[in-house]
Amino acid sequence: MNPQETPPSTTTTTPPPLEAPLPEKLDLKSLFEALLRRPQALVARLAEPDHGATGKFAAMAVVSILLFGFVLGCFAKHEQLWAAPVKVAGGLLFSGLICFPSLYIFATLAGARIAISQLAACLAGALALAGLLLLGFAPALWIFAESTDSIGFMGTLGIASWVIAVMFALKFLKSVIFSTGGTQKGPLFIWSAVFLLVTLQMTTSLRPILGRSETRFTQEKKFFLAHWGDTFGTSLPPALDKRQAERDPDAR
Amino acid sequence: MHLRELIQPTADWLDVPSPRRVARVGLAACVGLAVYGFTVGFWRDPLMGVYVAVKMPLLIALTLACNGLLNGLLGLLLGTGLGFRQSLLALLTAFALAAVILGSLAPVTFFLAWNAPPPGATGAASAHSAYLVTHTLLIGFAGLAANLHLHRLLAAKAPTPAAATATLLAWLGGNAFLGAQFSWILRPFFGTPALKVEFLRSDPMNGTFYQAVWRAIDSSSGGFGIPVLAIISLLIAVPVLGAIHKNHQTNPKP
Repeated sequence: MNPQETPPSTTTTTPPPLEAPLPEKLDLKSLFEALLRRPQALVARLAEPDHGATGKFAAMAVVSILLFGFVLGCFAKHEQLWAAPVKVAGGLLFSGLICFPSLYIFATLAGARIAISQLAACLAGALALAGLLLLGFAPALWIFAESTDSIGFMGTLGIASWVIAVMFALKFLKSVIFSTGGTQKGPLFIWSAVFLLVTLQMTTSLRPILGRSETRFTQEKKFFLAHWGDTFGTSLPPALDKRQAERDPDAR
Repeated sequence: MHLRELIQPTADWLDVPSPRRVARVGLAACVGLAVYGFTVGFWRDPLMGVYVAVKMPLLIALTLACNGLLNGLLGLLLGTGLGFRQSLLALLTAFALAAVILGSLAPVTFFLAWNAPPPGATGAASAHSAYLVTHTLLIGFAGLAANLHLHRLLAAKAPTPAAATATLLAWLGGNAFLGAQFSWILRPFFGTPALKVEFLRSDPMNGTFYQAVWRAIDSSSGGFGIPVLAIISLLIAVPVLGAIHKNHQTNPKP
């Protein structure tokens, strides 16, 4: 039948309720709301110029990850109280930067039609989302950081928190790619694996993050699985035991 | 708020997470747990009963406070559409239901404690073991009932049953994981006969619940900790998942 001959519909259907558009000026609160409740509307808004969201998302990510890193630093205390947050936040930003070019290529391979600036804002949003989730895990991690001396146990908790957080971040990126015309899952799946591997390798490249050492960084090259295998069964060294250190701050 | 409203909530129960409703549900949880907690500690010593009456509501409050942000984020991200206050009300409702169940059993458990051989008597060790098993079963039953209740509440709000199940499992995992550690920090609850009555152990933050459980399983199984742990996990997971699956079939979204 010719579409022009289609008779006008006589039945009236109630359209679904329309959501209010995102505000003109995207402040932190509206970005937070949109990230959690309306990711697709957020992606569409990020396609418009002058959204100003990239910096705010980056700030949100950095602050949350610094706080999460501080909680990890509470495990060994001393210089790790500032070194762990700096290393975790720096490592994550560096991972995001070195993985961004491949994200753009892989998103395009998946069929997405997205501008570099829009994708950068979305990646910053994904990292902010991961950071918020890590902030959600932080109180629980602090309880364990104060209770155990086992590096393996704390490491497992930290890695598990990170993997869960990054899964939600990747889910957001998936919605970004599919809402901008992407049709294939494969390229994003590969990029996700690469990004996860890079961030996990950061836990070894920037070591020590949980334990302590005489030097801030180590020059020894190691794959993260080998490093985890070597340290899983270890605890904070007795000389550096946190309870003893608290009793006698001059022990070192 | 009547108890019936708490036990048989309407589909719109979570739509109005007013401070008044949250406070009343929280009060129901506190009272139920305090009454039941008193009977848990009473066998060891009446003072221990008072301590446990304070610690049981404290355990729930600490767990919900520490995981509040995470629970709210997961509620939103897993697609139930619940906001932070609604997530808090949903979880508090589930804890309150468990508390009401346990509180209703408190006269029975008090009678049990009253009739058990006292801690100093011969046979106190076996009485302590039987006491532990009984309370573990009762708490397990109340917890299971509360979680099925929570799943019904979530299923009434979530767009799909899968979203409700994912949210429930995520909340359950996070709260159980942290709650177990808080129960370790706030120990003792039952009061080992050989140890003195105290509100907290002298070094409450020393060690974790999981390390203690692992050591106990590994040593009692003669080094076969991993297979035994796998079997225990399976024995817990299968009935829980089965019950959730049944809940999906019998409670379609209204």
